[in-house]
Amino acid sequence: MRKIIDILPLLVFAALVLVLLSFLSDRDDQLETVLIDSTFPEFSLTNLSDESSILGKKDISQLPALINVWATWCIACRVEHPFLMKLKEEEALAIYGLNYKDNREKALDLLKRDGNPYVFSIYDYEGRLAIDLGVYGAPETFFIDKEGIIQERHVGVIDEKVWADKFQKYLDE
Amino acid sequence: MIPELGHISLITHLILSLFAGTVPLAGLFLGRQSFLLHIERFSLILFSLITVSFLCLVYSFLMDDFSVAYVAQNSNINLPYYFKFAATWGAHEGSLVFWILAMNAWLIGFTFLTKSKDKKFSQLVFSISCQVMFAFTLFTLFTSNPFERILPVPPLNGSDLNPSLQDIAFTVHPPLLYLGYSGLLIPFAIAVAAMLFQTETRVWASYARPWALLSCGFLTLGIALGSWWAYYELGWGGWWFWDPVENAAFVPWLLSVALFHSLITSQNRGLFGKWSVLLSIFAFATSLLGTFLVRSGILTSVHAFALDPERGVFILAILAFFIIGSLTIYSVKDFAKTSSNTTYTLTSKEFGFLLNNLLLVILAISILFGTIFPLIYESITAGKKISVGAPYFEAVLFPFALALGALQGLALFLGWGKTTSFTFLKRLILESASIFILVLLILFILFDNLYLNSFVIIFLATWIAAGTLQFGKIGSKDYFKIIQRRSAVIFAHVGMAILTLGIAVVTNYSLEKEILLAKGDSYQIEELDVSFDSIEDSVGPNYLSKLAKVSFTEGSSTKQVIAEKRTYFPSGQPTTEAGIETEVFKDLYVSMGDNLEADIWSFKVQVKPFIRWIWLGALLIAIGTIISGVRLTRRL
Repeated sequence: MRKIIDILPLLVFAALVLVLLSFLSDRDDQLETVLIDSTFPEFSLTNLSDESSILGKKDISQLPALINVWATWCIACRVEHPFLMKLKEEEALAIYGLNYKDNREKALDLLKRDGNPYVFSIYDYEGRLAIDLGVYGAPETFFIDKEGIIQERHVGVIDEKVWADKFQKYLDE
Repeated sequence: MIPELGHISLITHLILSLFAGTVPLAGLFLGRQSFLLHIERFSLILFSLITVSFLCLVYSFLMDDFSVAYVAQNSNINLPYYFKFAATWGAHEGSLVFWILAMNAWLIGFTFLTKSKDKKFSQLVFSISCQVMFAFTLFTLFTSNPFERILPVPPLNGSDLNPSLQDIAFTVHPPLLYLGYSGLLIPFAIAVAAMLFQTETRVWASYARPWALLSCGFLTLGIALGSWWAYYELGWGGWWFWDPVENAAFVPWLLSVALFHSLITSQNRGLFGKWSVLLSIFAFATSLLGTFLVRSGILTSVHAFALDPERGVFILAILAFFIIGSLTIYSVKDFAKTSSNTTYTLTSKEFGFLLNNLLLVILAISILFGTIFPLIYESITAGKKISVGAPYFEAVLFPFALALGALQGLALFLGWGKTTSFTFLKRLILESASIFILVLLILFILFDNLYLNSFVIIFLATWIAAGTLQFGKIGSKDYFKIIQRRSAVIFAHVGMAILTLGIAVVTNYSLEKEILLAKGDSYQIEELDVSFDSIEDSVGPNYLSKLAKVSFTEGSSTKQVIAEKRTYFPSGQPTTEAGIETEVFKDLYVSMGDNLEADIWSFKVQVKPFIRWIWLGALLIAIGTIISGVRLTRRL
């Protein structure tokens, strides 16, 4: 009898660890799957370069496409920038920007200075579209296929390796 | 070069802590004297290494070295130097380095102050602590390295420290909290060592007690500062939000309070040995668990840490290793044998401590459950979200907190073994009733109103105060001696009474109103006249702001405060700085809302009576526990 009481704390704690572990793996799956295989969400936001022009889902017309979440305050985005420029030159796909919680002038300055890989950038100051997409932070990139279905998502910088591992296969199909 | 120096220093700390965490342990169990270390010297070496590492990080911040990714993410050229300094521990990576630094500092305290006759015991405690520090260092280096560089093209400027963290209270709140968390390592290591060596309960309890008290003191300060910061920085005017991160700090606090009370009994009577061991383990476990919940991203809160599932797995692994390890030892080792036939009755101090512990543990479990429940619910219902908020916590905790307060008023009168005389009860009731009436009278004079709802808690506060200060004995010649001898306990328990009174008054007497005001207009809230005098633009070092001057007129006195809305330009993030006029009995509080038209703004105006008493109470609790902790280290 006494022994059971002595083992009890261990059992309770081990159970707690298992529960927590299951939350953690749940989270991972959700991150990957929540939007994969669904169509791109509807939105209505202004164009970064033109405050008066309203963009919607229909404006993402060149497919397949990448949607790249970026901002001037995001350091990693600058690391990613040259690679996006290279993609624009070399691959038959359109890149759309989602300018996230940023300052419009600064964002335009950066594109002017470093080059603009995007067909256009959606200006999402409040993060509305970002919430619908479940954006974790910048940079983050989504791949949309010819039918407008989200096929892949990558959180973090895209470089040669990430491109080859995660994205290249969709263009080869 | 400097960041690399810090990096190398951290790697050296990793290797040496692994060495110190394994070799003496092997020495003890293989009986090899030569494997034992000179622990005083070794703890100084480890401490120096981590200090170098920490200072290198500080240096990188002060020098604006944006090639260091952590600096680039959390600092900015325009950030004032004191916030650059504080940014060192402002986010995940740096806070871990600080945490390891703090663990080292506690370990130095232990190795130098504990004059144990049993050298092996100290060796074992040292070795176990080094294992934990090794795990933390490994975690830091592999998942959260603050010295990682952005090369070859470092950014020209950083993306700034989270604006709501650019604040004086914030610069001290996290270090105090981390000091509290990390201090719980020492009682944990002592408890594990006590199980392995089957050390006598009285002996190990005397080693563990000061460290439990000191950790609790720092946790109290850290939590109170966090609460104060949230009050004026978040613009909501509350002092506690049942936010997951607050709960994550509150649970180990409750357990550390339970622990040092339990240790009193263990040290004096040799009782509750197993219970004290369990509390030591779980106080430490919940401090890690809180870290896990907050930083793995499975709970979201106002405290935004960079989210990374990989980190979650790592922290969970650390938690599982040390806690499952220690609980396994607990389940197999036959320790804390009650050889002495100490008995106690239902009226004894021992039983009082037992009840105190029971209630504190129930509170801790309820809070932990309320914090984790949304996650359980989400996974059972396949994604439906639920939030457990203040109503749950208040309803569940109230009866237990009430019982705890009732017990606290009696506690100091109880005797070991059994309480021989209950004559104190009559006096206690009489005294607390008279202070109660006095307090009500004062409240009525101040606010022209009495709320029945608050009576129970106000009485509880006076009950605790009367039970602690024992006014009846004033005049008797040993009253002063009693006060002096018990100063630590008096500080802490009177602090609790003041805090309780603050909570009772602020929850019942607060006024809160959202109003729209055009420049030059005013608004009447009961007897308070609020007028919006002017609005102007201003520029800070790294933000633009709107300053609204708002006057409070009550009778003939007028006080002007400045409420502020800032937009930090590196991130574009807005923050509100409430305008607060503090008086002895109340705070007048105004925070800016939105700009609706030209000069029309929305404001949130609040009158918060006695709110300062909550933090004053917490401060006294911290002073009490720290005095007691420091006194006990001298007796080690």
